[in-house]
Amino acid sequence: MPTSLEQQFIETPVGKVQLFRGGTGEPFVYLHSAAGDTTSGTLEALADEREVFVPVFPGFNESEGIEQIDDMEDAVFHLLDVWDALGLDAPPVMGLSLGAWMAAELATRYPDRVGALILVNPVGLYLPDAPVQELFGRSPGELAEEMFADQSNPMAQVMHAMSDWVGDVGQQVEIPLELVLPVYKSLSATAKLGWDPYLHNPRLRKRLRRITAPTLVVRGAQDTFLPAAHAETYAAEVSGARLEVVEGAAHLLPLEKPEELTRLVTQFLAAP
Amino acid sequence: MRFFSFHLMPYIGLDPAYEGSAWVTCPNSLYDPEVGGTLYNRYLDELIAAEDLGFDGVCVNEHHQNAYGNMPSPNLIASILARQTSRMKIAVVGNALPLYDPPTRVAEEFAMIDVISGGRLIAGMVVGGGPEYYSFSINPADARERFQEAHDLIIRAWTEPGPFEFIGKHFRIRYVNPWPRPLQQPHPEVWIPGAGSVETVEFVARHRYAYMGIPYFHISVFERMFRMFRDACEAEGYEADPLQQGWLVPIYVAETDEQARREFEEHLWYFVKRLLPGITIQPPGYTSVRSLENILKGAGTFMLNLETWEQIEEGQYAIVGSPETVYDKLVANLKRLGTGNLLGLFQLGSLPADLTRKSLGLFAEQVMPRLRQEFPEGASVYQAASAAEVA
Repeated sequence: MPTSLEQQFIETPVGKVQLFRGGTGEPFVYLHSAAGDTTSGTLEALADEREVFVPVFPGFNESEGIEQIDDMEDAVFHLLDVWDALGLDAPPVMGLSLGAWMAAELATRYPDRVGALILVNPVGLYLPDAPVQELFGRSPGELAEEMFADQSNPMAQVMHAMSDWVGDVGQQVEIPLELVLPVYKSLSATAKLGWDPYLHNPRLRKRLRRITAPTLVVRGAQDTFLPAAHAETYAAEVSGARLEVVEGAAHLLPLEKPEELTRLVTQFLAAP
Repeated sequence: MRFFSFHLMPYIGLDPAYEGSAWVTCPNSLYDPEVGGTLYNRYLDELIAAEDLGFDGVCVNEHHQNAYGNMPSPNLIASILARQTSRMKIAVVGNALPLYDPPTRVAEEFAMIDVISGGRLIAGMVVGGGPEYYSFSINPADARERFQEAHDLIIRAWTEPGPFEFIGKHFRIRYVNPWPRPLQQPHPEVWIPGAGSVETVEFVARHRYAYMGIPYFHISVFERMFRMFRDACEAEGYEADPLQQGWLVPIYVAETDEQARREFEEHLWYFVKRLLPGITIQPPGYTSVRSLENILKGAGTFMLNLETWEQIEEGQYAIVGSPETVYDKLVANLKRLGTGNLLGLFQLGSLPADLTRKSLGLFAEQVMPRLRQEFPEGASVYQAASAAEVA
């Protein structure tokens, strides 16, 4: 019986932050991707056993304060503020894509604030032979092809419905503003962290050795947005990290294979 | 009324088989340097000719990695014009400030052009188009901040005795002390092009600069934009001077209305269908969500979406016809907008040299003198009632 997450707001130094929270027990934090995925079957299943926290990053949805965050360095300090506001010491942290990159940055700098680390399709590295596909200014329909193994997924369907929107305001498109504006807002926040350097920190790779938390890297086998080498490099560079590959899932893996992810996470947390 | 001849220096002869964007990713293998060299020299001649034709000035602008306008450095073109002309204004509209690091480069180059030309520079400053942020990998989420900071630095560099220290968020220079300083004091006239964002309009009004409406929208969009500008000036406690406002519009003059359309139309569609695609891409963070909402409401009127000549005429996207027709249309539209600067795009799309020269000549001889009489400098241009006449 999945436990649903409830919305609440907390105060942080950059402003009011939206949070989804549910369950009781040991804490578990999820950092969402640029898609702003604040809920999934995995999170609701985990909330049966634990207290799950999903802080919404500034600039996404209803969280404030993005104008005070200029780069990943600021993002890491913001996470520390969120941890403190929630009374978290060293919770297990799972992140997807952008959120996984953020979790890795936190874990390299403040290893004692991350109890366990789960990186799902993590960006953050630059690998010359394995370029990450373009995120900004692409047709959402094209992105859906790369990010979903199964195009009938509801979110993939929404992205296909928005196919004409590439951020070109000179082109007349019949897409409701209430769909376009939140996407523009989320991508604007993402741009602050990942426009240049493009979705990576050139210094991150050499710092991965600093991570002390038990680490699980999960890759969607059908992810064509992010080449396999990225998850493989994380798994190789973080001491003792394990790599799992999930079939039938692409980049937005928790939306496609929530049960499989729940199983991997539960096993990992039981015996890290 | 002041008259300017604006040139984009477009690439003519884009491979007909290529149907993609003219910006950022338009393969530069399609650029033929032989063709390019001929075009640059032809276009320079067209700009230089404006002086003898009696124009008050010429305008050039900055765009990168595209077929629409081949002036990645308008300052290079302006420096040639500074030597090859002697009377008219040279308006660089403008330098895309966030792309210059450090922006004192703009203060230096503009001052050079001003000094060499004997004080004829109009200093345009612009955020840069959306595509530029892809071409430079400059973070669009920083665009407005960088523009603001660069602007402050440049104006201080021109007006405050150096050396001084400038420590900003994006630019840090411990010794600001540019040589040369501009000839025009305290600094050259500043023009800011804009597409109607509230923030830009208020910025221009506050600094008493001139606001140039970015073209290719329906005339009603310009009307709203300049009304917003006049209101913003009023909120600052003064009445907007017509010379603080400029309307940029394609103009083509021929012997008769029929001939004008016959000669011009295919070249206009080359511009609309081949060179415009990609120009209006808005990378994330480039504009506020509130501004995006406003812009999207007018998106349908952008020239790229037009299909028929009737739409071009109805929305006043281009002013085309006999000298009489062009005069009448310009008078009505100028009264409707209230702008004291007319920036004519006489070369547009694939318009060849002979037709460009003919149109420029007819405009200068038969339209401009009458417009000067109709709109004497110093007099108000805006007439509220004229909106109905145009419609």
